[in-house]
Parts: sequence; structure tokens; C-alpha cells
Amino acid sequence: MKVLIVDDEKPARDRLRQILQDEDDYEVVGEAGNGHDALSLAAERKPDIVLLDIRMPGLDGIETAHHLNTLERTPAVVFTTAYDEYAVDAFEARAIGYVLKPVRRSRLAAALEHASHLANSTLRDVASRANMDGRRQHVSARVRGELKLIPVAEIRCLLADQKYVRVEHEHGQDLIDDSLKSLASEFSEHFVRIHRAALVAVDRIEKIEKTTDGKSRVVLRDGSHVDDKELIISRRHVAEVRRRLKES
Amino acid sequence: MTATPKPTPQDTQAYLPDFCAAGTLFIIVLVAELVAIVLTLAAHNVQGQFLIELSTTSFFVLWLALLGSAVMCLLRDRLESAGKTRAFVIGFIVLEFVCLALSEFSWQLMSYFGQSSVIDDSHNVFLLRTFAISSIVIALAMRYLYISSEWRRSIVIEAQSRISALQALIRPHFLFNSMNTIASLTRSSPEQAEEAVEDLSDLLRATMSSPKDRSTLKQELEIAAIYQRIEKLRLGARLNVRWDIDELPMRARIPNLTIQPLLENAIYHGIELLPDGGDVVVTGKRDGDDLTISISNPVAEGKARHTIGNRMAMSNIRQRFELAYGNRGSVDVDDSLDRFTVTLRFPVDEGTT
Repeated sequence: MKVLIVDDEKPARDRLRQILQDEDDYEVVGEAGNGHDALSLAAERKPDIVLLDIRMPGLDGIETAHHLNTLERTPAVVFTTAYDEYAVDAFEARAIGYVLKPVRRSRLAAALEHASHLANSTLRDVASRANMDGRRQHVSARVRGELKLIPVAEIRCLLADQKYVRVEHEHGQDLIDDSLKSLASEFSEHFVRIHRAALVAVDRIEKIEKTTDGKSRVVLRDGSHVDDKELIISRRHVAEVRRRLKES
Repeated sequence: MTATPKPTPQDTQAYLPDFCAAGTLFIIVLVAELVAIVLTLAAHNVQGQFLIELSTTSFFVLWLALLGSAVMCLLRDRLESAGKTRAFVIGFIVLEFVCLALSEFSWQLMSYFGQSSVIDDSHNVFLLRTFAISSIVIALAMRYLYISSEWRRSIVIEAQSRISALQALIRPHFLFNSMNTIASLTRSSPEQAEEAVEDLSDLLRATMSSPKDRSTLKQELEIAAIYQRIEKLRLGARLNVRWDIDELPMRARIPNLTIQPLLENAIYHGIELLPDGGDVVVTGKRDGDDLTISISNPVAEGKARHTIGNRMAMSNIRQRFELAYGNRGSVDVDDSLDRFTVTLRFPVDEGTT
């Protein structure tokens, strides 16, 4: 079994590697000090299991686990944590593998046996139970086998496009696997729905204008390459869009 | 008595006792009766008339005490919200007013029934005497209540601060992370592991030894430095602490365990959330009789700065500063820029111990 170790603290990574070196069944294929490195290493080395620290700067463990799910070969995850009473309760409740620091040899082996693939909904549930901010700060797209993280703050709008969702952001556009419905609920503070198949970032809306045939349309700041037709507000959503715009 | 007071969390902070409670009322009646006895004893009594005199005086004094309690019972909530000093001043004035009104009323009652012989004085002298006596008694009572409320408050603050001082240092996260680091170092670098165990022991000893209120700056800074060494093992190059403290008189006294928790906050809420870490800066300045120590850390963008743990540590230190220095000390927080800075200000005290 190939294992990837992710922890922002070097001694903690050393400890896990020391223990795994003594085990015959496991091979450490890489170590990462943050979530971003973890994702690119995971795409490259295709580990079976990722040992993930929860509390990390930047991408924390929960969000990293989210994005690992976007990979072609989704690895199983075991979380490591020093003391997160609530997170641990949440893991217990959902039978999610975890190890407590200081890491005990026997406990690590047992957790690795039970490492499992975690659905995004499970992760969100854990995050909310653990009083953490379960919302991701990035969405992830798979571009030619590589994982690409798009910061939510850079997204202009999300458009449902048959099987996928098209993300229009500052540096172009990408397709992601998430459903528009789950994105709408996860990022409800940031986006507003303008019609059945489109969410628009509230802070990117410049104004609402009337088209010649009497419909309302969102005008984005610098939204040059989004087709105007895609930004027509359906009658059902006009009031809500105006309200959100006023609030911001 | 059915009117039991609602146990509100504010009760520990209340300045005035609950005048509606049976216990308080009993003490008030007792004190009133004692005052009546003193007054009767002090007066020139006709022989054999002592008990009769006492009963008239008691009657009057008890009425006054009960009426005063009733008024205070009704007004208590409003007085409490007016602030401490005001509560006592207004309480005093209200009670004086009640006293004068009752005196006037009893005088009128006596003259109506033609019993003015019970009171020997003329109208004005009677009012003046009651006023003078009641002023002294009420002022004494108020002073007593004020001191005892202060005393209760300081006990509560002290107990709270001691508990949270203990909790602050042995933050489970820190302890378990350190243990994990030590477990890791025992193989890769046994000497460092040894030092870490010694440091951790010193740190725990500092909190677990018999609690004291004050320590010296030297001791406080030593504890903080030991703490920093342990965290440095874990965070490596991400953690950098700059000490700019040469101006500080090392013998000066300071409430114990103030600097280390602030350093811990700076690391936990600042450095640990930054992928590349940053500098924690500890600056000490002396300005005449005042010392300032500020601890500042960089803040990760978009992260909530005011987590519960942070607030708790801060209010704890604030309370202990208030207890130690009153309004001569202060704890200020500045998070306007991209750094979070806590500044402690307190008077120099280089007393020997």
C-alpha cells in the first residue's frame, strides 16, 4: 500500500514515517507540508492512502480531503490530529479513520486498515459537527490529469453545462464535477442564483439592466467572455437578486 | 418567603445585596433592633421606663428599616445598572428620603392622636435628629456593603484567573503536539528530545507549583522563552520570535503567566495559520514609571481573528490586570493593520521579594 504523509510540522511527518518504515505492508511514497503540495503529489504518485493533518495553514485537512476526491484515483484518507474534541466525535460518529497525536504505533496500523474513501457530503457533515468552517475556499477542476484549484474569491459565475459545471473565473474557464445544487448551498453567502442553471458571485455584479425585450440581465464587472444570454435573470429570481445586491 | 431571587449569572458581580431575600431581611431587622437598643440605652431614661422607651424606638426604627428594604428591593435592578458608585450614592439619597418621609408621617400621626408627648422634641428638632442619626447609620451600612461587594468580586476574579491561568498553559493541543514532537525526536535527534523534555518539565512546573499572584519580569520572560523553544522544534523556520526587551527592568513585578499565554496566542492564531510563518515581535518599553510590553503577530488573510480561545485568554489577563493595578494598568488590542498586537501597560513595581 502506498502512503502519502501530509502535515505542516516536520517532526510530525518524521514520526509517521518512522513508524511506517517498520511496517512491511506500507510504503511511504511522499511527504507534503501543505495542502497544495499534497494534491499535486497525490496526482503524481497515486497513493492508496493519505495521512492528513487537520489543522494546517492555507488548505486545511478537511478541504484537502475534498479536493483529493476530484482525482482520477481517489485515495483513502486517515486524519491525524492533536486534540480536536469535536472533530474526533464527528469522526467516531461517521466511522472515519483518524489517529491522535502523539501517534501510537498500534493505533496507526489499525487506522490504516480502516482507511476509507470519504464522500464530500460526509466531509461537510464532519466539518459542521466539528464547528469548523466546512466551506471550501477553492473548487477543484481536473485539467489533463492535473488537479487545478480555483479560489472561490476569483470566480465570476458558475454555469451548469450538461454533465458539468462551467466555472468562469479571473483566469479563464474550467469544468468541474460538483453539482450546481451542492455548490449553491455550500457557497450560498457568496453566490446568488439568477436562473435554473447559473450562480453569479454577488460582489462581481456591476448592475442589473433591462434588455430591449423587457427582460432583466446581470452585468458583470469585466465579464466580457460570458455570453449575455446566459446572464438573463429568470422572472422567479429577479426579486432575490435585487435583494442580495442591495445587501452587499 | 416566596420571593426567592432569580439566580442570574450577574449575581457574582452584583454590588448590592438582594434586599428581597429572607436572609438579608433578617440581618436588616437584627441591625435595626440593635440600633434601637443603642439609642434607648444612650437616652436619659426615666427609671423603669426602659422597655417602654425601647418599644417605641424599635417600632419606629423597624418601620424605617422594613420600608427602606422594600424600596431598595424594588429599585435594586435599576440601581445595579447605574454603575457601582452611582448605585451607592442614589441608594443613600433614596433611603434618606424614605427616612424623612417616615419621620414626618409619624410626627403627623402623633399630633393627630394627641400623643406628641411621646416625642419630647419640637417638630424640626425631631426631624433633624432622625435625619442625623439615620445618615450616620445608613452611611455606615452602605460603606460596609460596598467593601463586602468589592471583596466578593475580587475573590471571584482571583479564583477565575487562577483556574484559567492553569488552563491557559496546559492547552491540550500544545501538550499533545509537544509530546508528538518529542516522540519523533527520540529517534532522529535524542539530544533535542532530551532538551525538549526538560523544557516541557520546566514549563509545567512553573504553572503547577504553588500559585502566586506576581512574579518578576525575568521569570515571566524565561517561561516565555522556554515555551518558544518547544514551539520552535515543532514549527521550525516558520516561527521567528524577536525579543526587543532591553529597556525592561528585569526585577519589576507583573501578574504571573501573562506573557507566555499571549505568545501562545500569537503562535496559535497567527503563525500556525500562515504557510510560511512569520515574525512574532515582543517589544518592551519603559516610560518613566510605566512599562509597556507589546506582542504582535502577522495574521493570515481571511481567517477569523477573534476566536473564542483568543477572547478568553485576553479577558483573563484583563481581569488580572484590573485586580492588580486598577485603572493604572491596561490591556489593549489592535488588529487594524495586517498584524494583531496586544499591548500591556502597567506601573513599575520593583519591590523586593
